[in-house]
This record gives sequence, C-alpha cells and structure tokens, in this order.
Amino acid sequence: MTEKGKSLSAPILAFLPAIALIPVLSEIFKEVHGGGLHLLGKFALASFQPSLDPLIIQHAFRGLQITIATALISWTISMCAGSLLGVLSSNVFWRSYRNLGWLSSVFNSLISIPRSIHELVWGLLLLQLFGLNPWVAIVAICIPYSALVARVLRDQLESLDHRPMVAITKNGASPISAFFTALMPAMVPIMTTYGSYRLECALRGATLLGVFGLGGIGTELQLTLQSLEFNEMWTSLWMLGVLMFGLEKTMAQIRKRQAKSINLQKFLLPGLFIIMGLFILCFLWLQILEVDILSTLRMHPITLPQSKELIKAIYSFKYFELIFNTLLIMVLATGIAVGLPPVMLILFPTKKWVTALNILWSFLRLIPPPLSALLLLLITTPSVSVAALALGIHNLGIMGRLLKEGLESQNNAQHQAMLSAGAGMRGAWLYGLFSKQSKSYLAYGAYRADVIVRETSVVGVIGGVGLGWQLQESLSSFGWSEVIVIIAIYIFITRGVETVSNNIRKTLLIDPTKTQINNVFQPNRFVFQ
Amino acid sequence: MIKGRNYIKASVLLLVNILMLNSSVSVSAQETLVIGAIPDQNPERLNRLYGLLTDELSKSLKVPVRYIPVTNYPATVTAFRTGDLDLVWFGGLSGVQARLQTPNAKVLAQRDIDANFRSVFISNKSSQIPVMKTEADLKRLSGRRFTFGSESSTSGRLMPQHFLQKAGVSLNQFKGGRPGFSGSHDATIALVQSGAYEAGALNKQVWDARVKKGKVDQKKVQIIWVTPPYADYHWLIQGDINERFGEGFTKKVKKTLFGLNQNSPTQRRILSLFGATRFIPAEASQYKDIERIGRQLGKIK
Repeated sequence: MTEKGKSLSAPILAFLPAIALIPVLSEIFKEVHGGGLHLLGKFALASFQPSLDPLIIQHAFRGLQITIATALISWTISMCAGSLLGVLSSNVFWRSYRNLGWLSSVFNSLISIPRSIHELVWGLLLLQLFGLNPWVAIVAICIPYSALVARVLRDQLESLDHRPMVAITKNGASPISAFFTALMPAMVPIMTTYGSYRLECALRGATLLGVFGLGGIGTELQLTLQSLEFNEMWTSLWMLGVLMFGLEKTMAQIRKRQAKSINLQKFLLPGLFIIMGLFILCFLWLQILEVDILSTLRMHPITLPQSKELIKAIYSFKYFELIFNTLLIMVLATGIAVGLPPVMLILFPTKKWVTALNILWSFLRLIPPPLSALLLLLITTPSVSVAALALGIHNLGIMGRLLKEGLESQNNAQHQAMLSAGAGMRGAWLYGLFSKQSKSYLAYGAYRADVIVRETSVVGVIGGVGLGWQLQESLSSFGWSEVIVIIAIYIFITRGVETVSNNIRKTLLIDPTKTQINNVFQPNRFVFQ
Repeated sequence: MIKGRNYIKASVLLLVNILMLNSSVSVSAQETLVIGAIPDQNPERLNRLYGLLTDELSKSLKVPVRYIPVTNYPATVTAFRTGDLDLVWFGGLSGVQARLQTPNAKVLAQRDIDANFRSVFISNKSSQIPVMKTEADLKRLSGRRFTFGSESSTSGRLMPQHFLQKAGVSLNQFKGGRPGFSGSHDATIALVQSGAYEAGALNKQVWDARVKKGKVDQKKVQIIWVTPPYADYHWLIQGDINERFGEGFTKKVKKTLFGLNQNSPTQRRILSLFGATRFIPAEASQYKDIERIGRQLGKIK
C-alpha cells in the first residue's frame, strides 16, 4: 500500500464499525411491537418531571451517598493495592533489586486472573460467600480495579527510560532507592490522570452493583424502573447526573492542568492527605447512613462440588452457542461504540450539533447498561441485539466524550486552513481534524473491546443471552459446579480478546513515519483509559 | 510540614472518633432478632408490612427485632445460610433451597392460604389470547411474548413453568425464543397491563390484592387461567435460635405468629398486608413436591 493510501485508511476505517448498527437495529425492529411504546414516551417525559416528593428525594439522596462512599473507599484501596502490585509485577523493579526478574512474571500472572472478570461477577460471587455486608461491593470493585491499575503502572514503568536509574546505582545508591528516585517522579502525572479516570469508573461500578441489589443509588434506579415509576426513577437519575457531570468537569480540569505541565508535585502531599482524610471520613459517613461498614467480614464457605459434579457440569453446556453469543454481543457493541461517534460528528460538524451530541453522550454514559436493556425490552423481545445495543450505547457515550476531548486538544490550524481554502465542512473536518486522531482513536477502540467483553456479563443477565444469563441461572440454582465452569470460560474468552486487541493496538500504533508512536506513548488518555 | 502534621492530627482524631463510635455501638448491642423476606413485591409495601411486624414481634418476644430488606432471591437464601438473617419469609422454592443449605433450619408457619396456593396466568386483552378451559389450553401461549416474575419465584416462575411444560410448552417456544423475567409480581402486572408483554404468570394472592385495591386496569388485563393448588410461602427459622435467645424461643415465635388475629387493629393490618386471615403450622414434608419440581426444572441442584 502506498504511503498516501495508508494515511487515508485509518480515518475511513474508524467509520466502518458503525455498520454493526444495521443488524442490531434490524433484529430489534423486526420484533418491535407497539405494546410498550407509550411507556418509553412516559419515561422520556418523566425526565422533565422528576418526583419531588420529599420521601423519594430522601431515599434517592441516601442511595447516592452510599454509592459515593462505596466508590471512594474502593477507589482508594484499589489505587494503593494496584500501585504496589504494579511495582511488584514490573521487571525493572526486581532487576534493580537483584536478579529476580522472574518474580515479576509470577506477579504478572497473579494479576491477570482478577482483571479478566467483571466487578459485577465478583460481586455476585462474594455475596454468596460473605452474605449481606457492605464490604462485598467494595471488595468486588477492588479486586479487578487493583489488577487494572497494576497493569497500567507496570506498562508505564517498563516503557520509561531506565538509564537514569542505572546511572544512580552506579554512583553507589542502593538499587531500591535508585528505583524510586529515578522512576517514581515520572509516574506521578500518569497516576494522577489515570487515577482520576479510575474514580469515574469506580462510581459507575458502584452504581452498577447497586442495580443488582448491592445497595446505593443503583438499587433505587432498578426498583423504580421495575415498578415503572419513571418520575421517581428520574429523581435518582438527575442526582446521579449532576454528580457525574461535576466529577467529569473536575477531572477534565485536572487533566488540562496536567497538559499545560503545571507542576503537580506541590499538590501531591496535600492531595494525598485529602484523599486519606476522605477515605476515613467515608467510614464515618456510611456508619451515619446506618450502613454497618465496621462489621467484620466473615467467610461462609460453600461446599465445593466434587469432581464428578464438575465433569457433569462441563458436559452440560452448549459451549459453541454460549461463547459465540458472548463474542457476538462484544463485536456488535464495540462496533456501535467505536463507529458511531465519528459518524455522528461528521453529519454536521458545527458547534451547536457537537453540544447536542455531548448532552446525548452524557445521558448514555449515565444509564447503566442493564437498565437501558430493561427499557429496550419494553418495546421488543430479548435477544443478542438488545444486549449489544444496551452495551454499545453506554460505551458510545464514553468513546464520544474521548473523541471530542481529543479533537479539542489538538492544533486545528490545518482544519481552519482547509475551511478557508474552500473545502466542504465535512471534508475539512475529516481530513483537517479527524484524520490526525483516527489511529489513536481506533487503537483506543481496540482497548475498549477488552472492557466490553467483560461487560457482556452485565447485559447478558437482562437480555437473557450468553454467558451472563447462564451465570445468573446457575447462581440462583446454587449450582456451584456450573458457576465454576462459566467463570473458567469467561477467563478464557477475556484473555483471548485481550491478546487480539493488544495485537491490533500494536499494529495501529506502528507508523512508518514514527510520529504517532511518541505521541501515543505520551501520558495521554489514549494509552490507558 | 506543619500543615502536614495538622492533616495527620485531624485524621488520627477522626479514626479515634470512629473507633469509639463503634465500641459504643457494640457495648449497647443486645442480641437482635433479624428478620427478612424474599423481595417478591414492591419494596415500599414490604417496608410497611415488615415495619409493623417488627414492632409486633419485638413487643411480644421482648427482644430487639430488625428487618433487613434484601433485593434479590438468591441473596436472601445466602443471607439465611450465612446467619445474617434469623427468621425469613420464604417462597416455596427459595425455602427449600435455603433448608438444603442451612442444616437444622426449621419450617415454622405458613398463612392459611399457603397450603393450597395458586398462580394466575394473565393476558393483555388486546393480545386476543382466549381464556383457557383446561391445562392443555396453555399450548396457546407458545409464540406469544410471555413474562415470568423473578427467576427464583415459586408462584411467578417454577409452578407456571411446570404447568406450561405439562401442556407441552417449553421456554424457547415463546416469542423471541425465551420468556422475560420481570423481577416481581407487581412488575409482571405492570408489564402485561402496559402491553410490553402479551401474557404473564404471577402469585394469585398478589393479583387479588391489587384488584381489590383498584390497582389493576381490568379493561386492559384479565385472568386467563388459574393453576391447581400447591404449597408455597412459609417462615423459616435458624436451628440454633434457642441457644442464642433462650430455651423455648422457637415456640414463642410460633405462638406469636399463630396468635396474630383480627381483634387488634395493628395485627389485622399486618394480616391484611400478608393477604391472610391467620398463620397456621407448617411442615417440611408439605414442600416435597416443590423440591421434586425444582430439581426437575434445574432450579435445585
């Protein structure tokens, strides 16, 4: 392929995944019935009339506080544990210490399992082992999040320039202190940016766990939707929306300062103290809300299935169908999430349109996927497409924001030049603005597929398809041997998808002109969100 | 650094505060009887009902009683197994699941209606599904949009599925290749009435109560079939409850439940929220059939 052909392909390629929308919508529309259509209308109208009943507000506000406190506690713990695990799983740390490089691979395989399972699945499993305890939600979030943080920190540590560290060691410093003096300062900005992103994730995670009965605002959302009390549901949705909006804006500010390379070092210590203070405050907060966070977590082991039962369970599944459906949900949802934002933007690349899209995307990010699946089920029958659409539009909200931020942060001189040279609005947007972002955008899209495959468990439960549904059935029948088999398949699938998406990402990021590589390995959000 | 010290001081003070709060709680804590229930209806209704029952039990048993709402069926079973709940109002299936996992748990009581409980199949009138005369007529539901309640509900899933199977309708014959699971009996009524599903199955007592209260729009939704009777809901209590609350405590709980009657206004209110006239003794053997059907349909392993 010629040089020009290559540079053209990526921006066009970014639109292609949107094709996934066609089979999804056609399956959904094929089954659409007018039955629940007026309910969807009611839901939309209710957004203007959230219930202002003091009792409802009080309930929703209590739920919101529980969710915030849960998210903050799990975020702090997972950032600390993740940082520690990240250092321990990096080759450079063990090499700096002694020739113990092999230890890093031990830690690496240790963190690979926890992160391949979604926090919801952890939550449902832990609920069975520990019963009703506020720690279940916290630990469920901490397990995969710590492993994710560890992986990002490790990748960053490995990609840094190690020469300063070697130099310090040669001057007689102890290897450990050389490691921290030479490498840690570079990690601070990365961990700030990544940490701020993880906080948003923790809030979404805590809300989602609530949808499945683990308390907080998610539980309020689920219960009000289940009884079709849309006005009450919107009371909770608006509260959550305001919180998410505030958080996203604050985090964007922090990232902006970062980009302007304002020295964050001087904020580091007070920042850490504020975080620790908040962490401790959260316990008090939950206690005041009568969530018994200080109760001890006691394990109530289940009787593990015998090998005979396990073998029976292994033979009881239609693997092809389960795996195929799960992968199909993943592919379709990723297509919608990655392909639609550029398609939506290129339609009318004007300021007003972008603002309108931004509001739509915020809303899509706000609603947990299982709830949008439930809303869809009011007008259609359960299918792979319902699950894929619910999951796809949620991630579309996240991809859209990312693309918008990426486009805004880049130099738009070329875009302006093309416009004044008389290029069409869409052409100028495509070649002047989007083409520079398209590769890193697609690379990030490949990473998003990783996230989405884990999330299939969440919508499968509602959509009635794939592994997620099977897990819910087996859990509610207390069939432990089946549960074990399903978890094993999950690990297998997510590991597979992770490998494939890593390869796609690497291919995309290697550019003959080498300009992209540096760009992408900068601590910008495309690397690790 | 001075600033830093202040932070530390503040955090330590906070920590001390929390620890003291905790210890003061544990000192005043007396053994509390924790009760729970499967979340088969709207939570606000359950909160009202169990709020009243908690006060009544506490008055009669002379121990603190607390109701913990649980939001899904399997979690209720687990909470009973782990001992987080002492006394639980279970459905037929969840009760059997709970007893299989919790050795020594005792079946305590049921409502007068539970020995001969029934489910109703309902339909949206615009679906034109005719009223069924016999069990075999259920065959007409194949190819329709159909919803159960919770996936672990006895009257909202297990028994309806059992009768459907007897009529030759399997779950993949519904429109879309699978049924819906609304989550609760109230949700089933709402979804069928709205037309989101053409038909559904639920607990007859909940249906009757909502019809009586005028909460059902009978112009839109109707009963198409009532199932034969089976044993359903019951109270389960932990086997070691006497060791914790004193000899004869189980008997005292039983006596309190059986003693609820129409003479006291509060008790009348509780019984009416339960949809019953009174509570009567129940035996584990009444639920043999439920266990058999549960195993047959894969809900008990």
